[in-house]
Amino acid sequence: MGESKLDLLQGTLDLIVLQTLAALGTLHGYGIARRIEQVSGDAVLLNQGTIYASLVRLQQRSWITAEWGTSDNNRKAKFYSITKRGRKQLAEDAAYWQRLSGVMGRVLAMGEEGGDK
Amino acid sequence: MKRLRVWLIRLGAMFRKKRHEAELSAELESHLQLHIEDNLRAGMTPYEARREALMKLGGVEQAKEAHRDRRGLPLLETVWQDVRYATRTLAMRPGFAIVAVLTLAVGIGATTAVFSVVDRVLFRSLPYPQDDRLVSYGVRAPFEGIEFMLAPEYAVLRRQPNPFESMTSLAPGGADCDITEQNPVRMSCAVVESTFLATFGIHPIMGRDFTAEDDRPGAPQVALISFGLWRSRFGGDLKVVGRELSVNAKPLEIVGVLPAGFEMPNLAKVDMLLPQVLDEAALDRNNPRVLLRAFARLKPSLTIEQATAQLQPWFRDSLRFVPPQFRAEVSLRVRSLRNRQTADSRVSAWALLGAVVTVLLLACVNVTNLLLVRAAGRQRELAVRAALGASRARLVRQALTESLLLAIVGGLLGCGFAYMLLKVFLAIAPDGIVRLDQASLDLRVLLFCVAVSFLAGVIFGIAPALNGPAAEWLAGRASSAAGRGWFRQGLVGAQIAFSIILLAGAGLLLRSLWNLQNIPIGLDAQYVVAVQISLADHRYPDNARRLAFFQELETKMGRLPGGGLLALSDTLPPSGGMQATFFASIEVPGRPRPSQGTGGMVGWRMVTPSYFEVLGIPIVRGRGFTESDRSLAERPVILSEALAARLFPGEDPCGEMMRFTAFDRQGPWRTVVGVARNVKNDGLTTEGDPEFYIPWKDDAESYVGRGFALFRTSLSESSIVSWTRSQVTEIDPTVPLEFATMNTRVEKLAARPRFNAVLLSTFAGIGVVLAALGIYGVVSFYASQRSKEIGVRMALGATAAGISRMVLLSIWKWTLAGTIVGLAGAWFGAKLVESLLFGVRPHDPLLLGMAVVVLLVVALLAAWAPALRAAKVDPMVVLRYE
Repeated sequence: MGESKLDLLQGTLDLIVLQTLAALGTLHGYGIARRIEQVSGDAVLLNQGTIYASLVRLQQRSWITAEWGTSDNNRKAKFYSITKRGRKQLAEDAAYWQRLSGVMGRVLAMGEEGGDK
Repeated sequence: MKRLRVWLIRLGAMFRKKRHEAELSAELESHLQLHIEDNLRAGMTPYEARREALMKLGGVEQAKEAHRDRRGLPLLETVWQDVRYATRTLAMRPGFAIVAVLTLAVGIGATTAVFSVVDRVLFRSLPYPQDDRLVSYGVRAPFEGIEFMLAPEYAVLRRQPNPFESMTSLAPGGADCDITEQNPVRMSCAVVESTFLATFGIHPIMGRDFTAEDDRPGAPQVALISFGLWRSRFGGDLKVVGRELSVNAKPLEIVGVLPAGFEMPNLAKVDMLLPQVLDEAALDRNNPRVLLRAFARLKPSLTIEQATAQLQPWFRDSLRFVPPQFRAEVSLRVRSLRNRQTADSRVSAWALLGAVVTVLLLACVNVTNLLLVRAAGRQRELAVRAALGASRARLVRQALTESLLLAIVGGLLGCGFAYMLLKVFLAIAPDGIVRLDQASLDLRVLLFCVAVSFLAGVIFGIAPALNGPAAEWLAGRASSAAGRGWFRQGLVGAQIAFSIILLAGAGLLLRSLWNLQNIPIGLDAQYVVAVQISLADHRYPDNARRLAFFQELETKMGRLPGGGLLALSDTLPPSGGMQATFFASIEVPGRPRPSQGTGGMVGWRMVTPSYFEVLGIPIVRGRGFTESDRSLAERPVILSEALAARLFPGEDPCGEMMRFTAFDRQGPWRTVVGVARNVKNDGLTTEGDPEFYIPWKDDAESYVGRGFALFRTSLSESSIVSWTRSQVTEIDPTVPLEFATMNTRVEKLAARPRFNAVLLSTFAGIGVVLAALGIYGVVSFYASQRSKEIGVRMALGATAAGISRMVLLSIWKWTLAGTIVGLAGAWFGAKLVESLLFGVRPHDPLLLGMAVVVLLVVALLAAWAPALRAAKVDPMVVLRYE
């Protein structure tokens, strides 16, 4: 349902979630959302709810696992952690993104140089 | 793979919906609490903290919805929802559902059953690879219905360039052959050229194919056996190849086994293939008496027309064998193998298929009507759903789901119905309908059934589905109901048109059948039992032994217990197959032979003197045969009236002389002693050939391999059977006998027309019932929609009769339009089935008129009940209702 339009955004969000979990270890949904906000502001997360669609997607692909536990201040929450497969996927995706951004950077730079020739 | 796994997880999630929902709620709740606690720590008031957290989360419900979309399979879920909803609504009004499903089951079932029968004739490919390149070819002549080749001409064509990749031939009619060792049994053998299997692209499943070596005269005798014979007689013995078998008292070697589904191109039954043993040398011995049936595989990308053109030079050259005055009546024919096999079944197959598809369309139209009527009753519900946010697409999908559900249930029932119907078909079907015995509900037919069901569901469902709700229904006003009226009435028109076509077709076939059964065949079949006796060549190799057998038979059986009369003849009317010669070959002293043409065929039979009495054929002039006519010195002949009129126009033929050529030999002069009344001798539908009779005698010129013993007796058929068997067994227990009353033999000839007529009449009956139901439904609906108007009219003084008339008139326009379209359709359709008709013109005005009258009466009756009911409305009740 409307999946195609959001594809880029979803992919990006998935990558960010994976990266967050890889960097910080086990986290609950709220924690992930807060971390992403701290890093990117509102640029990626329009609201925190969208993160749960991403989490479900990543679970279905077995890139992350979930488990109920208790938070620092004794509250029940569902904790997510990245799996081995998730790490592999993250490495692949990250490399792809770096390559892509490198190419994009060169393409844009070329546009500036050759603008009116 | 990954996609599949994800999909499976999502599919699984659908079934653990509750748990997932609860877990998601708990997770979102904990998310909110964590956020609120953070906010409180940051110094917000509890109210602010909660508000901020909710805003950041972006709404609990939206988050849940996004989560659900990802979690399960939303499309499948809504389909499932639609199906459950459809089942519920259908179950709410079971009457509607039952009528709709039964209507569909009849339509789909009949279509499936007929399809299973005609599929083999019209569509399914023949059991040979690249069957579209296989042809049957040869020359056509007046004395033979199927194209044939003369052996020397075949050899010539084989040597020169021709349009065929591979060509082959077989002996017409095959040959009876007997296994003459332990457990003797009669089999059907086909005698074929060594290229036979290769040309048809068939390989033996065991052993080898014939080789050119097997076709050489004097080669060791070999045979290929059928799969059936291999299983039944040899128990599927894997070492059967190389085994010796005694056939017709001669040893031969089994060299191979044919595949299970093997089929002869002429559809003859076959247990064993034998080599033709006609090599070049044998063919060249200028022996034009050997007839062959020739088949070939066309070179790739060659059409039948091109092949025919390429064969023309050869054909012109081959005409030198034909006496010059006959050449105009000989022609070349190349046709596809399918065409040869099904030529006389195609028209009836198409007619049946057309009729049954018409019935199916009628059923669909009826269900469309039912759905439309019901949709009208649900307008308010639909309008409410639309107002609550259901999209148009969702509503259409919901409606289509309902139709498809009906179609699937109807289709399932229909398949069961088809199964029963097919059994009925097979039970009542006469012999000789091509491939009917192979008809079954196999996978292909079931797939057809499923496809038809879906198609039907879409056809009858699409109109009601697109019939979207109008907003004013929310206000409870019925103003827009009339807008769809034209569509419903148009459907009534279509039903009437379809029904008229079916009725007219059934009428034509019934009328033809009636004509056929009331044809005078020229003989009295009552109390006559015929026994067919065939003598095997290997037991009776020469004429003397055959005649001795029949002589003994005659002496033994002449003493019929309980009285009665016996006659012998070599062939029997009214089916064809008698000995024949050209009219032009008959000589009469003092009459010049015709210089042009064959003059058509003249048949003859050998009969004992009592033949005319047994079959009740009157001698109209002169006398019949006597016992003394059977002495070798006498050469009498009895002519049929038709032959007498042609040979001796305007004269008394008795005492005149004639002679004829048979088997290339000039016969002796014969004296005409009498004239017998004409008898149908080539089926019921043709005029038949002129014929003459010669006495059955112990004479070298008589050739009798197969004969009939005829009894005129008041004894029952069964006592004749047992008595004859015992008598024949005393002479020779191996001779096979076939019994049939003369009445059965005559009725058999009308069996196929009867089959067609019964089927088409059944379909027409179903069609008329469906049309009546449809008209009844539409008129009832019209009346109930107008009940308020009717109430007002009656309150204002309209009479009951006036109201009935108004209701009846509501459909006259469409009835008329349907009638005209139906007449046009019947006019067109009748032309297509013209070859199935007998004694009735395709555009018989009386029959067409009757079809129209029957339908109009049915329409009137169907509309009458609701019209009467409408007039019984109590105006006060209706007006107070709102």
